[in-house]
Amino acid sequence: MTAPQAVILGEMPSLSKLYVNAAATAARRRLLGAHTGTQLPGSSHEVRGVQAGVANLTAYQHLIGETASDVLPAGFIHALTFPLSMSVMNRDDFPLPLLGMIHLTNKVVQSAPVLFTEALDIRAWAENLRGHRAGTQLDLVAEVRGAGEDFVRWRGVSSYLAKGVFLPGIDKPSPAAAPAGFTAPNPTALWQLGVDTGRAYASVSGDFNPIHLSVLSAKALGLRRSIAHGMYLASRALADVGAMKGDAFSWDVAFEAPVFLPARVALDIGTVQAEDGAWLRSEYVAWSPHSGRKHFSGSVASLK
Amino acid sequence: MPVNGTSSTGPTAAAGSAAAPQLRRAVVVGGNRIPFARTGGAYTKSSNQDMLTAALDGLIARFGLQDERIGEVAAGAVLKHSRDFNLTREAVLGSALSAETPAYDVQQACATGLETVLGLANKIKLGQIDSAIAGGVDSASDAPIAVSEGLREILLDLNRAKTLPQRLQVLSRLRPKDLAPDAPNTGEPRTGLSMGEHQALTTAQWKITREAQDELAYNSHRNLAAAYDAGFFDDLLTPYRGLSKDSNLRADTTPEKLAGLKPVFGKNLGAAATMTAGNSTPLTDGASTVLLASEDWADAHDLPKLATVLDGEAAAVDFVHGKDGLLMAPAFAVPRLLARHGLSFADIDFFEIHEAFAGTVLSTLAAWEDEEFCRTRLGLDGALGSVDRAKLNVNGSSLAAGHPFAATGGRIVATLAKMLHAKGQVDGRPARGLISICAAGGQGVVAILEAH
Repeated sequence: MTAPQAVILGEMPSLSKLYVNAAATAARRRLLGAHTGTQLPGSSHEVRGVQAGVANLTAYQHLIGETASDVLPAGFIHALTFPLSMSVMNRDDFPLPLLGMIHLTNKVVQSAPVLFTEALDIRAWAENLRGHRAGTQLDLVAEVRGAGEDFVRWRGVSSYLAKGVFLPGIDKPSPAAAPAGFTAPNPTALWQLGVDTGRAYASVSGDFNPIHLSVLSAKALGLRRSIAHGMYLASRALADVGAMKGDAFSWDVAFEAPVFLPARVALDIGTVQAEDGAWLRSEYVAWSPHSGRKHFSGSVASLK
Repeated sequence: MPVNGTSSTGPTAAAGSAAAPQLRRAVVVGGNRIPFARTGGAYTKSSNQDMLTAALDGLIARFGLQDERIGEVAAGAVLKHSRDFNLTREAVLGSALSAETPAYDVQQACATGLETVLGLANKIKLGQIDSAIAGGVDSASDAPIAVSEGLREILLDLNRAKTLPQRLQVLSRLRPKDLAPDAPNTGEPRTGLSMGEHQALTTAQWKITREAQDELAYNSHRNLAAAYDAGFFDDLLTPYRGLSKDSNLRADTTPEKLAGLKPVFGKNLGAAATMTAGNSTPLTDGASTVLLASEDWADAHDLPKLATVLDGEAAAVDFVHGKDGLLMAPAFAVPRLLARHGLSFADIDFFEIHEAFAGTVLSTLAAWEDEEFCRTRLGLDGALGSVDRAKLNVNGSSLAAGHPFAATGGRIVATLAKMLHAKGQVDGRPARGLISICAAGGQGVVAILEAH
C-alpha cells in the first residue's frame, strides 16, 4: 500500500501538545459521545528536512547500550518519526481513541544507514484498519528518506490495538488459537530495570506517555504500576544483537506481557548462520525470570 | 656519524647473538583515527569507548575487516573510568570485528599508543599473532571524577556495616568536605607540579626562547593545514560527530598572533616565562588506531604494507629530584635506539617528535646538540647532532592537531608509515623515520619505522 496524499507540516509536531490534545479529545468524545466514523484518515503527514539532535542521539545511544556512532540506531529513528505518527492519530477524522492504545508489533526495515548529519524527509500515515478479537487494530506506517530522495532508507510499521473498541462494519476475526505455551530457555542476558527506566527513555525519545513515567501517572490510566516502553525494550535487544547486523537489516518485535517497573528481564539471543558462517539473523525472546511469562520476542535479519 | 652508546643500558649486542631467533617483520598496513576535538567541543558527550569504537569501525571499513578475527587488539586511555577496565575489549565487542578477537588495555601515559604498537609488533615478529590493531583514546571532556577519599572510605564501610545502628554510626562520620569531588589533573603525584610547570623549568634550563617556541607552533599549524589541503589525511581519518578536521587546527594563525598570547606556565620565572596556550597543546578528545600485520597476512588479505616497525626503546628520568626535566626521557631513549642499529641522525628521513609543548621538542633538540650533556649524560663522545628542521614533523604534530594522550602514538605511527611509503627508497636503503614521545612520570618511548 502506498502513502495517501500528503499534508506537509512545517515542523515536527510536539508530542506533549499531542498528548494534551489526545486527552482533551478523549474527554470530549466521552462527554458528547461523538463518533468520528469507521474510516482511517485519507491523508498522510509529512515533515521535510528533519535533523536529529546530536546531544539527544548520544544520550539515547548510551541509554540503550549502543556505541555513540554517527549512524542513527533504528530505534532512534522510530522515536524521531513517532511524533508524526502521533499527529496522524490525533487528527479529528481518526476513528479510534489514541490514549490507551496497545502496541502489538513493530516491524522495521532499515535499507541503508542514516547519519545524524543528514536532513531527512519523514512521512507517516495510518492503514489497514481491521478487527481483532479484543477490539480494533491498525498499522501506523512511517517512512524516512534522505531530504529530496526517493529511496526509502527506513520504514516502520507499528500495529496498535484499541482494546474494547469495535467499529461497525469491521469484522471481528475468529478468536485466535490459544498461544503456544512458553518454556523459558537459558538466558544469555539479565537486565535490571530500575523504576526510573520509563522516565529515562522518555527523556531521550521525547515520548512522555504517562503510562511509562511513574506509578501515579500510570495508575491514572488504569495500570497498577508504570511499564517499560516497548520500543526501549526492543531497542535494547537490537543493541545486544550488535554490529553483526550491518547496515541493512530488518527488525521485528511482538509484544506480549508488559514489563512492570522495576523489573528483572531475562533475555535469550540466538544466532542463525549460513553454512559459510555468515550471519543470517538473530532471534530474541525476553521473559520474566520471576513469573516465566514472555514479555516480547522478535528477530533481526540480514537484508543481503 | 656513528654513535657510540657506551653508557646505554639497552641490549646493544642482541642482534648478533647466536641464540636470537629468526624474526619475521611486522608491517604497518594503515591507520584510522577520528579528528581530534578540543575539550568541551564536538565529543563532549562521547565516551572513550564511543570514540575508540568509532576509530576502530573506520579502520574496519577501510581495510574490509568485518567479521575478521584479528590476532589481538591493544589500546588504552590515560584518563580512564574504573568501569572501563576492559575498555579495548568492549570497543572490539561493539565493533564489526569478530567477537572472537581478543583485546587488552595498556597504560603508559602519553606513550600508551606507541607502546601498543611496539608490543603488538613484537608479538607479530615472534610469530605469536599474524595481525593486530593498536590504538589509544582519551577524553578530557568525559573525564572520570572520583568521590573524595573520605567519602570513599565511608561508602565502603557502609557497605560492610550489617546493622542499622552500624550504618548510622558510619554515616555520622560524613562531613561536608567529604562531598567535594576529586577531579583528575595533570599534576605529577610526586612533585605537585603540573606538566606545564615542569616543562617551564626545562624550557628555562635549556634557554629556549619564546620566538623559537612560537615558530615551532606556527610550523605545526601550517604543516597540518597543508597536509589537509593536500588530502593527506583522506585515508587516515573518518569524520565523527560532525568533525572532519582537528578542531584545534588554526590554518590562519600567524607568528604575530602567537606572539600576542600571554604566558600561562612558568609565570613565577618572571621574564623567562615563555610558554603560552599557543605553544602548548590543549586538552583534547580523540582516538586513533593502527593495523599491523605480518607480511604474509597482509599479502593474503591483499592489503598494503606501508612500513615495517624496526624497533623501539623506552627510557625514564629522575625528574623527582630535579636531575632531568619531566619530559626529557626521549633524549636518552633515542641515542640508545640509534646505537643499537648503528644509525645516526643522517640516516633518518623523518623525525616525528611529539609536541607536548614546543619547549619539549626544542629542549630535546638542544640537549642532543649539547656536547657536555651528550658526553656526561648520554655517554657519547660528543654531541649527538642536529635534527634537520626540514625533516621535523613535516605534516604537523600535536600543537596543531591536539593531543588526546593515548591517541597520539597511533596518529603519529599511521602518519609516518604513510610518509615513509610515499618516500620509498633513499640512497638505496628504505626511508627511515624516528618517533619520539614523552610521557608523564618522566618516561619516554621512541621507535624507528622503515619504508616497506
